[in-house]
Amino acid sequence: MKRGLKDFTRKKQMYGRMFILPWEIGFILFFLQPLVQSLVFVFSKVNVDFENGVFLTEWNGIENIRYFLYEDTQYVDYLVESLTSFVLNIPLIVSLSLIVGVLLNQKFKGRVMFRSIFFLPVIIATGVVMTYLTGDATAESMRGGTGAGNGIDISGILMSMNLTSNITSKVIGFVNQIFDLFWDCGVQIVLFISGLQSIPEQLYEVCRVEGANKWEEFWYVTFPMLSGTTLLVIVFTAIEIFTDSNNSVMTYGFNAMRQNMWWQGPTILWIYFALVGVILGLAVLIIQKKIFAKWAQ
Amino acid sequence: MKEKKLKLVAHKKKQYKRFTRSKAANFMFVTILLVFGLFMVLPLIYSIVTSFKPLDELLAFPPKFFVTRPTLHNYTVLPSLLDNLQVPFSRYAFNSLFISVAITVGHVLIAGMAAFTLSNCKHKFISTVFWAVQVALLFNGYTLGIPQYLIFSKLGMIDTYWVYILPALQSTTGVFLMKQYMDVSVPRALMEAALLDGAGYYRIFWTLVMPLVKPAWLTLSLFAFRDAWAMQPGGTIFAESLKTLPVAMNQIAASGIARSGSVMAATVLLMIPPILVYLVSQSNVMETMSSAGMKD
Repeated sequence: MKRGLKDFTRKKQMYGRMFILPWEIGFILFFLQPLVQSLVFVFSKVNVDFENGVFLTEWNGIENIRYFLYEDTQYVDYLVESLTSFVLNIPLIVSLSLIVGVLLNQKFKGRVMFRSIFFLPVIIATGVVMTYLTGDATAESMRGGTGAGNGIDISGILMSMNLTSNITSKVIGFVNQIFDLFWDCGVQIVLFISGLQSIPEQLYEVCRVEGANKWEEFWYVTFPMLSGTTLLVIVFTAIEIFTDSNNSVMTYGFNAMRQNMWWQGPTILWIYFALVGVILGLAVLIIQKKIFAKWAQ
Repeated sequence: MKEKKLKLVAHKKKQYKRFTRSKAANFMFVTILLVFGLFMVLPLIYSIVTSFKPLDELLAFPPKFFVTRPTLHNYTVLPSLLDNLQVPFSRYAFNSLFISVAITVGHVLIAGMAAFTLSNCKHKFISTVFWAVQVALLFNGYTLGIPQYLIFSKLGMIDTYWVYILPALQSTTGVFLMKQYMDVSVPRALMEAALLDGAGYYRIFWTLVMPLVKPAWLTLSLFAFRDAWAMQPGGTIFAESLKTLPVAMNQIAASGIARSGSVMAATVLLMIPPILVYLVSQSNVMETMSSAGMKD
């Protein structure tokens, strides 16, 4: 009896291992190992032995990190720029998608269509398509004078709506930002909608019976009930912004890698990663402990 | 179970009355949605409209939003433009399609299997793995570029399709989503019953778990296909015959501003496959996302 049970557990374990194995191999080979290697690069002097195609690493302490923080002329600026946009954009994106999520959760005709529209950017806004859609079209049109560069041209859209160029130029900066913001919201909106749908209907009924208006309903029921979702959305947005290859630190690091600057690239990205990790962790802790705990009372 | 859900929804609908929203509020509501929606689709509409513009309208200053004399010229000129590419266009298209399908199928399978273990084993090691999955979500592939190149060159995979496919297969997002969804939607009792009836783990996985988590893997296919479709070779592909559609598009775009209409046309065409995949999986996306927020 006991033996049989043991065999059974062993069999179960074997199957468990078998199922996870393909993914695990890939994960270790193409993620974990490279990750550790790039971390090693951060702390070492890297030389390449071209004849054998091997990297020779030599322990260098925190020299690389020190170099980027104190000697590199651009890095700190990029870092500050990225982190500021990080801190500024998250509340904007989260509140925007909360508003849209609440609106899309109402009952009205054409709801499915609207939901699809708001999810559309998630599907098409990747890679090349995105480059040509938003691109540097605005900047290009400013430089070249022609309104029709490659891709979407917001100033073009505005001018075609008969606005003067004076207003246009003022609006462009703002609008560019808005387009980016909106196009970053897709998944967040979906997350909020599904969060909203899990709020029990009874709570709203109670609200109506007690005579609360919609505003109070939102602040005393919807918002507190969404705290878990909100946290998830914040983390998701942070990850999205952080891993977005268009932010300045990422571009800087990527260019360094492209020019085969072996240790520079990983160092640039690892410092950034560590900073963002700390900020994100702190933010999650504070939000969980302070803000949502208050609502729960 | 689904029927029950449907009934519930129908019940809710009947119950719902819009007795708190006034006419003015209704108007506000629709306006806000329309304005927000416009922001979402404006770039899309613009690119479609632009792809039908003749050259003089493309270069008109100030530019016009709508096309006055629509033409198919930008599309009809595409084949001759594509003739000038270094490799036949069909090759690029095949590469992109092959890679995307291979990644999508492989990723769904591998992620599904891994999630099956993650969701069912309560071993200490397994929870460590899941923690690693969550941390891994934070990393962008760029960080790994150089070391990955080393591995590929050691394995002799430079200049093969493997370079595209292998790193994409183990994407952690998929494993995370699948695991969360399995936790919620596969009842333990059902699996135990299957085990008692003598089904092996393979059988359980294929005939029980996978059908139950269909929304999750449809959503996953959508994301995997989307990412694979936009994939561009990094420093690991040198043969032109192994490059993907985006590369072909960059070549068209390189021919200058006079070709901007054709670039738009190509962009519009490139957008079609992901949208098709979306239409297939659309209704399932919402369901899967809702399970992502549940705590394990």
